[in-house]
Amino acid sequence: MARDTEVLVLGGGSTGCGIARDLAMRGLEVTLVERGNLTDGTTGRMHGLLHSGGRYAVSDQASATECIEENEVLREIAGHCVEETGGLFVQRPEDSDDYFQEKLEGCRECGIPARVLSGSEAREVEPYLADDIKRAIEVPDGAVDPFRLCVANAIDAQNHGARIETHAEVIDLLRDGDDIYGVEVRHDSGPGKRTHATSGTTEEITAEYVVNATGAWAGQIGAMADLEIAVRPSKGVMTIMNVRQVDTVINRCHPKGDADIVVPHETTAILGTTDEEVADPDDYPEEQWEVDQMIDTLSELVPILEEARTIRSFWGVRPLYEPPGTGTQDPTDITRDFFLLDHADRDGVAGMSSIVGGKFTTYRMMAEQISDHVCEKLGVNAACTTADEPLPGSENIATLEAGMDDFGLRSPVARRSRQRLGSRACEVLETDEPNPVICQCEGVTRAEIKDAIAQSGTDLNAVRIRTRASMGNCQGGFCCQPMANELHPEYDEEMVREALDELFQERWKGERHALWGEQLSQAMLNYALHATTMNRDRDPASETSTVDFAAFDDGRAERDRIDGIRGGR
Amino acid sequence: MSDAQQPTDDGGPGDDDFEPIQVFPEAGEMDLRPGADNCYKCSTCDTNCPVAEVDDEFPGPKFQGPEQWRLKRQDDHDIDDSVMKCSNCMRCDSACPSEVPLSQMHNTARAEYVEENMSKLSREYWRNRMLANYRRLAPLGSMFPRTTNFVMGLSATQWLGEKLLGITGEREFPEFATETFREWWTKRGGAQVQNPDKRIAYFHGCYANYNPPEVAKALVRVYEHFGYEIMVPDQHCSGTPMFANGMLEDARRSAETNVRELAWALEDGADIIASCSSCSMSLRQEYPELFDFEGTEDVAANTWDAVEYLRVHEDLEAELEGTSVGDEFDDFAYHAPCHARNQGLDGQTVEVLEAIDGIDAHDVGDSCSGISGTYGWKEENYETSMKIGAEMFEHMEDADAKAGLTECPTCSMQMEHGTGYEITHTLEVLEAALVGPAAEADGQ
Repeated sequence: MARDTEVLVLGGGSTGCGIARDLAMRGLEVTLVERGNLTDGTTGRMHGLLHSGGRYAVSDQASATECIEENEVLREIAGHCVEETGGLFVQRPEDSDDYFQEKLEGCRECGIPARVLSGSEAREVEPYLADDIKRAIEVPDGAVDPFRLCVANAIDAQNHGARIETHAEVIDLLRDGDDIYGVEVRHDSGPGKRTHATSGTTEEITAEYVVNATGAWAGQIGAMADLEIAVRPSKGVMTIMNVRQVDTVINRCHPKGDADIVVPHETTAILGTTDEEVADPDDYPEEQWEVDQMIDTLSELVPILEEARTIRSFWGVRPLYEPPGTGTQDPTDITRDFFLLDHADRDGVAGMSSIVGGKFTTYRMMAEQISDHVCEKLGVNAACTTADEPLPGSENIATLEAGMDDFGLRSPVARRSRQRLGSRACEVLETDEPNPVICQCEGVTRAEIKDAIAQSGTDLNAVRIRTRASMGNCQGGFCCQPMANELHPEYDEEMVREALDELFQERWKGERHALWGEQLSQAMLNYALHATTMNRDRDPASETSTVDFAAFDDGRAERDRIDGIRGGR
Repeated sequence: MSDAQQPTDDGGPGDDDFEPIQVFPEAGEMDLRPGADNCYKCSTCDTNCPVAEVDDEFPGPKFQGPEQWRLKRQDDHDIDDSVMKCSNCMRCDSACPSEVPLSQMHNTARAEYVEENMSKLSREYWRNRMLANYRRLAPLGSMFPRTTNFVMGLSATQWLGEKLLGITGEREFPEFATETFREWWTKRGGAQVQNPDKRIAYFHGCYANYNPPEVAKALVRVYEHFGYEIMVPDQHCSGTPMFANGMLEDARRSAETNVRELAWALEDGADIIASCSSCSMSLRQEYPELFDFEGTEDVAANTWDAVEYLRVHEDLEAELEGTSVGDEFDDFAYHAPCHARNQGLDGQTVEVLEAIDGIDAHDVGDSCSGISGTYGWKEENYETSMKIGAEMFEHMEDADAKAGLTECPTCSMQMEHGTGYEITHTLEVLEAALVGPAAEADGQ
């Protein structure tokens, strides 16, 4: 039977996009479907740490070794997504000396370059560290932008012929006896670039092999074909600070615990995190106390955090998994290793494998192993090249950076644009048209917004993750509408309005957990601004019923009004 | 006993506690990103910026300050060159409803720009360095004041100044006094009043010393009239022109001397008084924002504007009640300098002059004069400077007065340049009312 595609990948997170790129580069025909945007699940809800492996150097040395290997690979192939910040494992006076020593030795055993800094040396690196920091271990942690990395993988997969279908939710696995041969998806908004035109239509996509890379949602997918995959989703809260208090990843050097890491991320710093098992990855409580407690605890390392402004908080769900019968109680003890479940071996159902567990830093290695497995199943003999081929935007970055001009932009705007676009900067920013800054917080220009729209259509959240527009301190209060404006005239007024609402709504969601101090002032200003200039507190254009203009009177006649004024004197 | 309790000086492990820590980084390396937390982007600063109002190319204080800082990573030093278009009037500081440290951000960014991005061989750098360090050149001018005044007044000199240095030829250089204030002070025998209970240390700044010293003399007579013992400590430039030109290291050296000398005066029981509104602004706000010498905070907390101090510590209005200035002065068109406005002093002169019979000060509004110290002297800024000043010129001409009044030396130059009026300092009016022409004999 002719199939629509050779391999169908479910899930547009880092794993799914990594697999799609890997297989497409090996010459296979690949289709990827994702329920929302790329990164919408767990990938877009991580703290942005590129692990050196230091965090696992005591508890899980196999993972630590994989981390440092992949850390080095990603610096090479994804230079424009990675910032080489370095990291510190910081010891407070009350933290154990023995553990500090174990950590140091563990790093060395795993091949992670590690160096001890005195308290004052550590404060020289990061002046906002607490005065009573005892010592620190310096490791090559980094910061990575998961959005850019995931999108770059998807773009490269597309460049190699893959079909990337976002806003296409899997509603059924197609199973014929003991063979899974595809899925049925419901298009939220039509195939191809999002156009909203065929919202609600469904499509059957058949494939020779299906890879379930839906992470925390893998159990739900499996259930569609009566397969049991016992993922144990575990939620963690992360809080985004308005500015970078630190430029180095700051870890607390203690065995394990909540709230022990600060990661510099683009223009912000992200605080993380907690670890608590939840039943449903789509529905779990988001509690304010989780945020408060995290800020309190991390202030012990970086006291300025206590007074600092947060711009939003978000929760992510880890796709933890352990083989049946392991029975670990505490989710922090569940392994971070990944598992490839071949349902043919496991359940006697052919045509699909599921991938669960794992972590962002090693996404490429995971993708490579799964792709090897898929190739073996399909009898394809092709080698993986993803460790050597740079992602789009990361080609020859070092040489390019030296020669790049400012594209007529103010220098910090040009600098940030280059950091985001990498080797694509010239292609995107060289324009004859006026190129004003659309998002002032993040320094994003119209040319970059237009480039993202060309990639993703009317979905402004997809534009957001590509550009960082609306991710700064005003959280879109000042830039959502000019972003939406760029959709016109290609898209009509109604669609532009819908796209604007959707983006602004998404921005508001995360801000709800940051409404005190300056961010509350910001939210009030945003509200006032949108209400008074765009009527967005009660917009007649969003009314579903038509306005009955006949119900209004004509006002008083000219003459009456004049009399009325006189009478009032 | 642990190792840590034994001081060692071999630098080996175990002596962490004794390692010196640089608590306060060099100003050029100050991390002001956390200051961006206060900004919610309302843009009030932009609407109050006099440069942005007349120059569409200038991105305004919100960009220069919180936005630019927020976009920085630790190792980024490429400050946008537009920071040199900021005139350092500091109106954004008072405009901001949310306490964003705008001028601190601008001063630090400007210093970083000059340090990292401006060629030390460029004409602009040397011109700015010269303007910023006017005080170092002024003694030369004062040594041969007549020759200097003659040469500086030559049109050939002005032409050369513009072509060689980029100093506008449109303006006339201020004249150097034939006798500086400090020379006069020494000749006079220093303080004429001794009073351990009422002591002030006078920060005269450069202009009142080297250029017309009448303002400084007026301060001495007015304060002695109220029975104050005046100290005139050694002093350097306040730093204002250096901040404005990004010469933060020059400013640091000057500030170090000033803080040391003025802190000593404080120990002698004196309060610090300045007659120039930019000098008092600098000591009060910019020093504690940018420097951390011992005593900086004390000096800032005990510095006063000359008129403000008398209003608080004396009953100045009552003393002026019923006085007159004879024929010496008539009504004034009064301009409150931005740096006085930032100190909350913009209303005081009009109120004080009301007490004097026969003269009034007519406030010409809250616009900026546009010269902002050395800013309007630069060839490339002259036009912007005059555009900003246009509103003030117009209001001065509309006011019912034929002379100008202000407390800032460079505003006074701009006022004279734009209207041709003679410009007086408020202290000179107070002197005429309280001491009168009789005092002219003093110190002669």
